[in-house]
Amino acid sequence: MKKYLLKRVFYMALTLFLVATITFFLMKLMPGTPYSNQEKMSPEQIAIMNQQYGLDKPIWMQYLLYIGGMLHGDMGTSFQFSNQPVSYLISSRIGASAQLGIQAMIFGVFFGIIFGSIAAINRNTWIDTGVTILSIIGKSVPNFVLAVLLQYYIALKLGWFPIADWGGFAYTVLPTIALGVGPLAETSRFMRTGMVDVLNSDYIELAKAKGLSKFQIVYHHALRNSLIPLVTLIGPYTVALMTGSMVIENIFSIPGIGEQFVKSIMTNDYPTIMGVTMLFSAGLVAVILLTDIIYGIIDPRIRLAGNEG
Amino acid sequence: MEEKMKLRPEDFQALEVKEELDAEKIAAPSLTFTQDAWRRLKKNKGAVISLFIILFMIVVAFGSTPFVNRDTLVKSQPQYANLPAKIPGVNINGLNGKAKVGDAWVDKYAQAGVSKDKYFVMGTDYLGRSLAQRIVYGTKISLIVALVATFFDLTIGVTYGIVSGWKGGRTDNVMQRIIEVISSIPSLVIVVLMLVVFKPGIGSIILAIAISSWTTMARMIRAETLQLKSQEYVLAARTLGQSPTKIAWKHLVPNLSSIIIIQTMYTIPTAIFFEAFLSFIGIGISAPETSLGVLLNEGQKNFQFLPYQMWYPAIVLCVLMISFNLLGDGLRDAFDPKTRR
Amino acid sequence: MKLAKLAKAGAVVALSAVFLAACGKSSDDGASGKQVLNWSETAELPSMDLSKSTDAVSFAQINNSMEGLLRIGKNSKTEPGIAKKTEVSDDGLTYTFTLRDNAKWSNGDKVTAKDFVYSWQRTIDPKTGSQYAYLFDGITNANDIIDGKKQPSELGIKADGDYKLVVTLEKQVPYFKLLMGFPIFFPQNQKAVEEFGDKYGTASKYAVYNGPFVLEGWTGSNLSWKLKKNDNYWDKSKVKLDEINYKVNKSTTTAYNLYQSGKVDATVLSSEQARQLKGQTGYLERKEATTAYLQLNQTKEEFKNLKIRQAISKAIDRDQFVKQVLAGSSTPAKGFVSSGLAERDGKDFVDAAYVKSAVDYDEKDAKKLFEEGLKELGKDKIEFSVLSDDTDGAKKSTEFLQSALTDAFGSDKVKVNVSNVPFKTRLARATSGDFDVVISLWNADFADPISFLDLMTSDNSLNAGKWKNEEYDRLIEASKTTDASDPAKRWDDLVQAEKILMNDEGVVPLYQRTQAWMLKPSVKNVIYNSSGVNYNFKEAYISGN
Repeated sequence: MKKYLLKRVFYMALTLFLVATITFFLMKLMPGTPYSNQEKMSPEQIAIMNQQYGLDKPIWMQYLLYIGGMLHGDMGTSFQFSNQPVSYLISSRIGASAQLGIQAMIFGVFFGIIFGSIAAINRNTWIDTGVTILSIIGKSVPNFVLAVLLQYYIALKLGWFPIADWGGFAYTVLPTIALGVGPLAETSRFMRTGMVDVLNSDYIELAKAKGLSKFQIVYHHALRNSLIPLVTLIGPYTVALMTGSMVIENIFSIPGIGEQFVKSIMTNDYPTIMGVTMLFSAGLVAVILLTDIIYGIIDPRIRLAGNEG
Repeated sequence: MEEKMKLRPEDFQALEVKEELDAEKIAAPSLTFTQDAWRRLKKNKGAVISLFIILFMIVVAFGSTPFVNRDTLVKSQPQYANLPAKIPGVNINGLNGKAKVGDAWVDKYAQAGVSKDKYFVMGTDYLGRSLAQRIVYGTKISLIVALVATFFDLTIGVTYGIVSGWKGGRTDNVMQRIIEVISSIPSLVIVVLMLVVFKPGIGSIILAIAISSWTTMARMIRAETLQLKSQEYVLAARTLGQSPTKIAWKHLVPNLSSIIIIQTMYTIPTAIFFEAFLSFIGIGISAPETSLGVLLNEGQKNFQFLPYQMWYPAIVLCVLMISFNLLGDGLRDAFDPKTRR
Repeated sequence: MKLAKLAKAGAVVALSAVFLAACGKSSDDGASGKQVLNWSETAELPSMDLSKSTDAVSFAQINNSMEGLLRIGKNSKTEPGIAKKTEVSDDGLTYTFTLRDNAKWSNGDKVTAKDFVYSWQRTIDPKTGSQYAYLFDGITNANDIIDGKKQPSELGIKADGDYKLVVTLEKQVPYFKLLMGFPIFFPQNQKAVEEFGDKYGTASKYAVYNGPFVLEGWTGSNLSWKLKKNDNYWDKSKVKLDEINYKVNKSTTTAYNLYQSGKVDATVLSSEQARQLKGQTGYLERKEATTAYLQLNQTKEEFKNLKIRQAISKAIDRDQFVKQVLAGSSTPAKGFVSSGLAERDGKDFVDAAYVKSAVDYDEKDAKKLFEEGLKELGKDKIEFSVLSDDTDGAKKSTEFLQSALTDAFGSDKVKVNVSNVPFKTRLARATSGDFDVVISLWNADFADPISFLDLMTSDNSLNAGKWKNEEYDRLIEASKTTDASDPAKRWDDLVQAEKILMNDEGVVPLYQRTQAWMLKPSVKNVIYNSSGVNYNFKEAYISGN
C-alpha cells in the first residue's frame, strides 16, 4: 500500500509538472501584452516594465524561473490587479467557490440519494416514472438558464431569497440550487440503478426472509451497498462544481474564482491564468487519487486493478 | 492372445434421421446481438419517441440549409425588431403578435407598422431577424458539435483505450499519464487559446472538442479491455496466433459495443452543453452564424422584457437534451442486458 | 489671466462656504437619517495606486477619496481643490499654485506641496510603469524622463515651502487646468507609499486619503466596498453623503433586478434594457465623450481607395444603427470629435467642423462609389473582416455592419466577415496592423478636441489604419506651437483638421456613446462629466423618495 501510494504521488507530481509546462507554452502563444494602455507608453517604459515582470528574458528562461517560483509556492504577481500576488488573489476568491461547490454537491447528493432510493423501492410505479422524468429534465436544463429563472421568479417576484450578492447562508440558497440540480439528477439516476441491483440480490432476499422491515432492509443493507459506485462520481464532480461555476458566479455576483479566471484570460493576466490552472489541475489529480484510495478501502475487489495502474 | 479386428467402412450403417434428436433446437428465431438490442429498444416507448425527435431535428436542421444559411442570416430588417411570435390562424395571446406591456396585451405588429400578412412564428430578434430561422440554424450547429464529438469519441477514444488496455505495462502507463494531463488542463483554457490563436468560430470549437472530449471514453474502454484481455476466448485467439488488430476488431469491439454506445450517448449532451456554455460566456461562434448558446445568452439579457427570446431556444435545447438522454438510457438498457429491467 | 481670476473667485466662494458651514454645523447633524447611496458597478476595483491605475473604476474611487490641486465640477469646470489659488504667468508657461493649509491626509499628515512633487516624480519615473504618464506631456522634461534620458527629479515641478507649488511647462498646454483634476496629477503621501511598500494601493487599508470620502472594506479583489465620509476633509461641510456602498454586478440583468427591488439606487443598463425602459422615472442617458469609429487599414490596397472608404461610410445608416441596435441610447456621430466636449462663441466644435456628406447615409451613392472603386482597383469582389471586441455591444455593432454593408453592396460584390476577440487581443492586432477594418472606441481624457485629433497624426501609435495627411499633421502641430496661445487661431486649426479628416474618411465615425442608467430620482446632485473621470460625489445627497 505504501509503495503504491508513493508511486501514485510521484505520478501526480509528474502530471502537474507537465500541465504547468504545457499551459506555460500555450499561454505564450496568446497575442497581446498585459498592458491595457500600451499604445500610450514609451518604448523605454515598456522595456522597463517587461524587465520588471521578467518578460524581457528568453522564453525558456521565463519558464525556468516560473517553475522555480512554483516550487517555492510563489505564483507571481497579477498583471490585472497591480501588485497583488496571485496566491493572495486565489486564496481570497476560492472560499466562495468552494463553499458553493460543496453545498451544491451536498444538496445534489443528499436529495439524489433520497429520490433515487424512493424510485428504486417503488420501481415501475408512477413515483418511479415521475422521478425519472424529473431527473432527466434536471440533467437537460442548462444551469445558467435555471439561474436566470430562479433569480427572476423566486428572488425578485416572490422575494424569498436575496437576488444577488454574497453574505450569509440565505445568499447561497439560489446559486446552490442552480448548481446542484445537475448532480441531483445524476445521483438519483445512479442511485436508482445501483439500488435496483442490490434489491434483487440474494442477501436482500435473505433479509426479507428473516422478516426485517422494509426500512431496515433499505437502510442497513441496500443503501450502503449502492453507495459504493457513487464515490467515483462525487470526487471529480466536486472539483468541477468548485471551478466550473463561473456563469452562476456572474449571475449571482459571487466573488468566486471561476469568474476571475475568465477575466484573467481576457486580460492576458498570465500569472493568474497559470495559478488558477495549476489549482484546478492539482485539485482534480488529488481528488482522483483520494477516490481511488477510498474506493480501495470500501471495496477490496478494486485493489488488484488499482495496483496495475 | 492377440486378437485383431478388422473394421471396414462397409461394417457401418447410417441411422435414419429421427425427430427426437432435434429437441435441442431453439424454437425462437436466432437473433444477432444487434437485432436483439433493436427488439428491446423498440419496447421502450420513450427511447423510440426520442429517436424520432432526433431524426426529425436532423432532417429539419440539415434540410434547411438551402433556406437558412449565411446569406439569409446576414440579412437584417431592423424595422421588424423584437416582434413576438405570430402564427397564422392562432389566436392565443403571446402567439398572435401580441405581447404583454405592463398589464395589457399590445399588438406589437400593428405598433411597428408591419403589414397584416407578415408572420414570424417564433418572433424576431433585435435586428428583426426571424428567431425561428436562427433556432433552426443553432440546432444545426449543436448537432454538428454532437456529431464531431461522437466521431472523435469513436476514433481516438476507442482506439486509444484499446491500445492502452491491450498493451499494458509501460505503454499503458505512459498513455494513462497523457490522458491525465489532458483532462487536468481546464477545457476553457484550451478553447480560449484555440479561439485566440486561430480564428473564432466553429472550427476552433471543434478542435477544442477534439482535444479534450475523448478522454472519458478512452478511460472506460481501457478498463473494460483490461478485463476482456484475460477472458478465455481472447486467450484462445492469441494462442492460435491471431494478429492483435484482428483480435481487437473481431473480439474486443463487439464486446465493447454496449459501453461504446452508452458512452457516446453521454458524450453528445456534454458536447452540446459545452458549446452552449462557450457561446453563453461569449467566446463561441461568430456572426452571422449563431448557435443555441448564443441565442440563450441574448435572450437571457432581455428575459424581463422579451421572455420569448429565451424561452424558445431554451425549450429547443431542452428537448434535444432530453431526447438524447432518453435515447441513451434506452440504448443502455437494450445493449446491456444486465441493467435491463 | 481671466482664468486666474475665476480661480480666485472660486477660492473665495469655497472659503466662505467653509465659514458658513462652520456656523450651521450643529443644526446639520442628526437632522435626518443616514445619507446612504447604493451604487452598482460593472467591474472590480483593480488598484488604488494612482500612479498605476488605468481603468474607470479606479479613477472614480480615487477622484472621490483623494483630491488634487483642482477639482472638476459641473460641466467640466474646474473648482478649487487643494490649491486655493492658481496663478498663470503671462506666457502661459508657469503655473503657481497656493495650497490651503487645512488639508489633511487620513493618517494625520498635512497635505503639502512636497506631496505633489513626490507623486509626480513617482508617476513619471519609467520604473513605476505608469500607463498614463503620457498626460505629463508639455511639463518641462516630462518626455525625456519617460524616455529614460533624464532623471525624474528634473521634472518641471518645484515646492516653494510647504504651501506653494510651481510648475513649469515647455510649451503651452491650453487644457492644463483640466488635467489638474485628473487623478494621475493628485498628490501622494511619501510616508505612506514607503511604509506600505509593495502593498501600497492594494487594499483600502494600504492607502491614505485626502478627499471627500475614504475607502473602506476593499480587500483588493472583492466585489463590494464603500466610500465613507471623510471627517478630516477640508471642505467636509459640503459633503452630505455618509456612505456610498459599491457592489459589483457584472450581469446587467442582475443589476436591474436589484434596482427594481430597491437594493441599489443606480445601475447602468444594457442597450436592450434601455430600449424597454426609456421614458420611465429614473431613466437617464449620460452622454460620454466617447466616439466609436472604424479604422480602415490603409496599408491594404482596397482601403487606400478613397471611393471605397466613402462608400463604406455612406452605406451605414447611423440613425437606424443607433435606434435599433444601440436602442436609442447613443447618438449618431457627426464627426470624430464627440459633441459637448468644447464650444466657442456658443457653437459646438462638432457643428463647426461638421461635414455632412462624410457621415450621411445614401445607399445609392454608396453603391455607385463602391462599384467605381472596384473598377479602379480592377476587382469584381472584395472580402474583408471587421475586427472588434467581444462585448455585447461590440458584437451587435459588427453584426449590424456586416449586414448593412452586405445589403448595400450586394453579396456578389462583397463578403464581410466578423471577428470578435477580447479587448487586449483587439488592441494588439490593431497596433500591429493585423486587421482589415477595426471598430475602435476613444474616450477623451480631458475636455478638448485635441484629445481626439491627436490620435490621427501620422506617427501616433493609435492611428492603426496608418492614414496620412501632411496638411492635417501641420495643423495639429500649429495648434500646439505657433497658435497655442491664440484660442481663436487654435480653434480654427482644429476645425480645419477635423474637416480634412472627415472629407478623406481617415476614420469612419459611427456613433457617440451614451450610457443609459436607472438612477433613483431621490439621488440628487451627482456630478457627471463626459470626459476624464466621470463621477464626482462630493456634493451629492439623497432627498425624498
